[in-house]
Amino acid sequence: MKRAIAILSTVLSIVAASTVFAQDPLYVGGYLRQETSVLLDGGEYALIRNTVDLNVEHSMSDFALRIDPYAYQLSGADLELGLRQAYLDFYWSNVDLRIGRQQIVWGKADGMFITDIVSPKDLGQFLLADFEEIRSGVDAVKLNYYRGNSTLEFVWLPTFTPTRMPEAGSLWELKPQFAIQPTFDMSSSEVEGSLENSELFGKVSLLSSLADLELMAGYAWDDDPALHTKAIVDPETMELASLTITPKHHRLTLAGGSFSTEVSGFVLRGEGAYYWNKVFSTENPALGDGTLEQDYVHYLLGLDRPLFGLNTSVQISQEVILEYDESLTRDSTREVMTLLLSDDFLGETLHLEFFSYLGLSDGDALLRPKISYDLSDGLEVTLGSDIFLGEEGMFGGFDSRDLVYAEVKYSF
Amino acid sequence: MTKFNILAIGLLVVLTTPLAAEELTALELVEKVYNRPDGEDMQSDLKMSLVNSRGDARVREIRQLSKDFGTDEKKIMFFQAPADVRNTSFMNWTYGEAGKSDDQWIFLPALKKVKRISSDSKGDYFMGSDFTYDDLGDRHPASDTHKVTGREEIDGEPCTIVESVSIEEDYIYSKTLSWIADEKWIVLKKEFYDEDDELLKILTVEEHSEIDGYWTVTHSEMQNLQRDHTTIMILENIKLDQGVPDNKFTERIMARGL
Repeated sequence: MKRAIAILSTVLSIVAASTVFAQDPLYVGGYLRQETSVLLDGGEYALIRNTVDLNVEHSMSDFALRIDPYAYQLSGADLELGLRQAYLDFYWSNVDLRIGRQQIVWGKADGMFITDIVSPKDLGQFLLADFEEIRSGVDAVKLNYYRGNSTLEFVWLPTFTPTRMPEAGSLWELKPQFAIQPTFDMSSSEVEGSLENSELFGKVSLLSSLADLELMAGYAWDDDPALHTKAIVDPETMELASLTITPKHHRLTLAGGSFSTEVSGFVLRGEGAYYWNKVFSTENPALGDGTLEQDYVHYLLGLDRPLFGLNTSVQISQEVILEYDESLTRDSTREVMTLLLSDDFLGETLHLEFFSYLGLSDGDALLRPKISYDLSDGLEVTLGSDIFLGEEGMFGGFDSRDLVYAEVKYSF
Repeated sequence: MTKFNILAIGLLVVLTTPLAAEELTALELVEKVYNRPDGEDMQSDLKMSLVNSRGDARVREIRQLSKDFGTDEKKIMFFQAPADVRNTSFMNWTYGEAGKSDDQWIFLPALKKVKRISSDSKGDYFMGSDFTYDDLGDRHPASDTHKVTGREEIDGEPCTIVESVSIEEDYIYSKTLSWIADEKWIVLKKEFYDEDDELLKILTVEEHSEIDGYWTVTHSEMQNLQRDHTTIMILENIKLDQGVPDNKFTERIMARGL
């Protein structure tokens, strides 16, 4: 509660100060949203949530301020207050500097995270949250240098922010399976804030008639912890007597790039990254500490084009663990495809959309049809469904959590 | 004055006198419109009202910049209202080279990235309006065949009517009729016919004026007869030839705003 009050007072102080001193107008916008979702299996409520999301902006020719506070009021839970973004921008002729909490998005892929790893994911609602809510803001210093249509960008994250996992006991928690009930040692689960533990990213990008290009590199932490194990085997039975799991984040070095170009009316997109020494879990907890370092490649190709009047977008991605060790829990490769079909009717007031993730390796899928209607400018109602298919894999594990939902959103 | 001198002066007068509009070919008229000087750059605020059959209006407000780069043109639009599209921006690079497709990008604040989009959607309607992306752009004269079908006055302005038929077989319109004002080379009225040759839409220019020496349309209306829907476009705060910097048409400005 103290944190909530602190955030609220900070926002109000900055807004008040800006209003007093600003010659240029202060813009306050945002939205109010009510979401209700119901599990198809059993009819229980999956989510009842009210959201207030504000954008406070103040811009001058060489300076800008932005604060995006939000509040979630979940049925049966405490009010959650936070800052999605809160930063200051400074503009010079060829340089922009942004300091503060910010959401940084890189790459050309949609709904896939390959070079887009600066802002960690918020998986509190698995992958079902809106784009704006699925990326956590990070405290960062971002420096951009511009020359013509090219940009050089450096990002320094003084502290590490991990992936936000679903709350324990929540609908979206996926518990790893172990041979026996393990004990969790959380002593190494956090990365201490220090200069040595900060993260660095760099990117050069070009936007041109021929193609748009991005090249990036990062010296980061893996947003997801590796699960180190300490196993004790009973010498008489040779069976596991105890198992201790120690989640730990590891350094991650990666380099990659992305492109998009138009070919005969198709927008062709591609993105790929090489990760050095990514830590993976093994199936045998008694072998070493249950982890192995492997180089890893993740890449994607996508095509966008209106087809038969429908906006159509297809992506296919592959993850490859190089010099694969058979003891790893993950397969050596994993392929995922996405398909997006959408169209607008009635003067762009009625929107139909079908988005899906298709796990080609595991035979699982997430299907997301939805229909939205603008009752008036800024007032939108949405009905949709999230259907999980399969028995294993990233989506198959949630097979019993198919849901339908309704949402009312008022933007102002 | 000798007969030779009289003949020479007469020839000079003939050669230097502009051809009257009725003496120009249809292609020449369309090229006059296409090449009409409209400033090297332009800044304006566009207010677009979408009016349905019940008379209910939805209003979109856009700040836009455009600039000529030789025969190419770059344009950037910033959506300011309604609230749910605020900070969205759209950039279009059009090329003078016949047959070369436009390049288009969109910046959606929720996605926080600039995304290249297919320019093969020129037949799509712009933001729920009655204007397609193609209607809003400068269609290259070589994209159609043209013929003069008559003369008519619009609000007292003598115009030549030109019928244009696309050389593309699957173009969204079977034909268009344009009323081109003499000397100003502005299209004061345009009719659009659908694939079944039925009248689909009528564009009328309600106001035009000479701004900084250039004839500029400031108020136009597109009426879709088949949908019983009208879009009113009003341009305000028009500034021409202000020396808009080249770097306004970049990814940086799309994401940051003006």
